[in-house]
Amino acid sequence: MLVFLSILQLLYVIALSPLAIGILNFFDERLSSRGGPSIFQEYYNIFKYFKKQSIYPSTASDFFSYVPYITFAMYLFLTLVLPIITAFPLTFGPVVDFVGGGLVFGAASTLIKLASLDSKNNYSILGASRASSIGIFTEPIILLIFIMFGVISGTNNPYVINNILQTSTSWFFSLVHLFIAIAFFFVLIIETGQLPIESHTPNELGSIDSLMSQEYSGRELALVKWGSYAKSFILMNVFLNVYTFPFFVPMKLNLLSVFIYMFINFFKITVLLAVFAIINNIVSKYRLFKIFDYIAIAFSFALMAMLVFYIVNGG
Amino acid sequence: MHSEIFVLVGFLEIVLSIFMQWQTYILSNIKTFAIQSWILGIFLMYFGLFNGNLSMIILSLLTIITRAVFIPLYLSNTINKQTFRARENKHRVSVSLSILTSVLLAIFSYILYSLVLFEFGKSLISIPITLMLQGTFLIISRSNAYAQLIGYLVMENSIFLLSYLFSGLPFIVEAGIILDILGVVMIGGILMKIRDEDIQKEEELYG
Repeated sequence: MLVFLSILQLLYVIALSPLAIGILNFFDERLSSRGGPSIFQEYYNIFKYFKKQSIYPSTASDFFSYVPYITFAMYLFLTLVLPIITAFPLTFGPVVDFVGGGLVFGAASTLIKLASLDSKNNYSILGASRASSIGIFTEPIILLIFIMFGVISGTNNPYVINNILQTSTSWFFSLVHLFIAIAFFFVLIIETGQLPIESHTPNELGSIDSLMSQEYSGRELALVKWGSYAKSFILMNVFLNVYTFPFFVPMKLNLLSVFIYMFINFFKITVLLAVFAIINNIVSKYRLFKIFDYIAIAFSFALMAMLVFYIVNGG
Repeated sequence: MHSEIFVLVGFLEIVLSIFMQWQTYILSNIKTFAIQSWILGIFLMYFGLFNGNLSMIILSLLTIITRAVFIPLYLSNTINKQTFRARENKHRVSVSLSILTSVLLAIFSYILYSLVLFEFGKSLISIPITLMLQGTFLIISRSNAYAQLIGYLVMENSIFLLSYLFSGLPFIVEAGIILDILGVVMIGGILMKIRDEDIQKEEELYG
C-alpha cells in the first residue's frame, strides 16, 4: 500500500506541477487585465520541447547534457520523501530528514549552476553568479528555520513536525511558529523566483534563474523547466503542509482520505498561487543590490523566532 | 496569559522598530511610531481594565492621546510644509546592516539580562531593553533630526513597556515621562522651524 501511495504522490507532483505554474500565470495575466494563455499552456510547451531537436554549445562538455536528467531525478526523489499528500511516512520517508532534503535541493541547484558555467554563455554565467550570491545568504535562513523546527519538535523529520503542529494548538499559535512561517514565506519567494526578487522577462537586468537555462534546447530544456516547476511545487507543499497550514493532511493510512486530501491540497496550492499573483502585481521588483535588504529582513525573522523561544521558555 | 500578550506586544514593537530602520521616508517612520504607540496604549488599557487599575487606564489614555495622536500629527504637520526634509538622503549605516544590527541588539539584550538582571525574575525584561537599544541605535544610525527624535520616542515607549513589568512605579513618574516627551517634541519642532533657512544645519541635532 505504501509503495502504491509513493507512486501516487510522485505522479501527483509530476503531473500537476506544470498546471500550478499555468494557474499562476493565468492569475498574473488576469490581475493585470490581460487575456493570457490557457492554464494548460505549460503542458503544451513541455510537449513541444520534447519533440524538438537538442542542440549543445560546441564549447560545452558532456556534463552539460547530463545535468537536466540528474537534477530531474533528484526532484523526483524529493517528492518521495516529503509530506505532500500524506502525513505518515511513505516507503522512502525514513531515508532523509529535513537537512538531508535541503542538501539534495542544494546539490541539484549546484549542478544546474555548474552546467550553466560549463555552457560558457556570458548570460548563463551572470545568472549563476547572481543565484549563488543570493543562495549564500538564504542558506543560513533555511538552516535557522530547520533548527527552530528541530527545537519545537525534537526531531528533524517533516512528518513529525506536521503531526505536532496539527495536534498542538499552543505550538501552532505561538510567536515562534509565526516568525518561522513568515521567514519561510520570504525564502519561498526567493526560491520560487517570484516578483519582488525576480522578473521572468528576456531582459537580463531582472532575471536570475531563467538566465541559467539559456543554452538548453529540446528535451533537456523540457526537463529543466519541468524540474523547476516540480521544485516550486514541492517547496510550496512544504510551506503549506509543514509550516503554515498543516491541517487535513491524513495522519493515518486511509486511501479515501488521501484521495480527498489531494483535492484539498491542490486547493491550498491555488490559494497560495493567488497570493503570489497578488504580490507580483502590487509589489515592484527590487533592484538587484537591494535584494540583500529583503534577505536581512527574512533572516531577522528567523533569528527572532529563536529569541522568542528563549525568552518565553527561559523565564 | 498576560505574559503571552506581553511577548506578542513586545515583539510587535520590535518588528515595527526594525521596519523603521528599513524606511527612508520620515513620514512613514512617524506613522510606524503612531502604530507602535497605539499598540502600547491598547495593551495598557486592556491590562488596566482587566485588573481594575485606574491609574493604568488613565496612563493608557494619556499614551494614546499624546503619543499615538498628538505627536505624530504635530510632526507630520511640520514635515508637510517642508517636503524636502521628508526623506533621508543617505543612511550612515547601510539598510541591511542596520536591520541585522537591530536583531543582534535583541540577542545582546537577552544575554545582558541572563548575565546581569536574572535576579529580577522574568526573562521578559529583555524585550523592553531590546526596544531601548533599538531606539538608541536609530538615533546613532540616522543623520536626520526627525529620525533621531523618533528614535528618542521609541526609547520612551520602551521605558513605558518596562514599567508594566515593574507595576509598583508611582503614577507621577510615569505621567512625568509623558509630559517630558511632550516638551521634547515641542522644543524639537520649534527648533527645526527656527533653523529652516539652512538645510545642512538641521541635518543633525548638535549636542
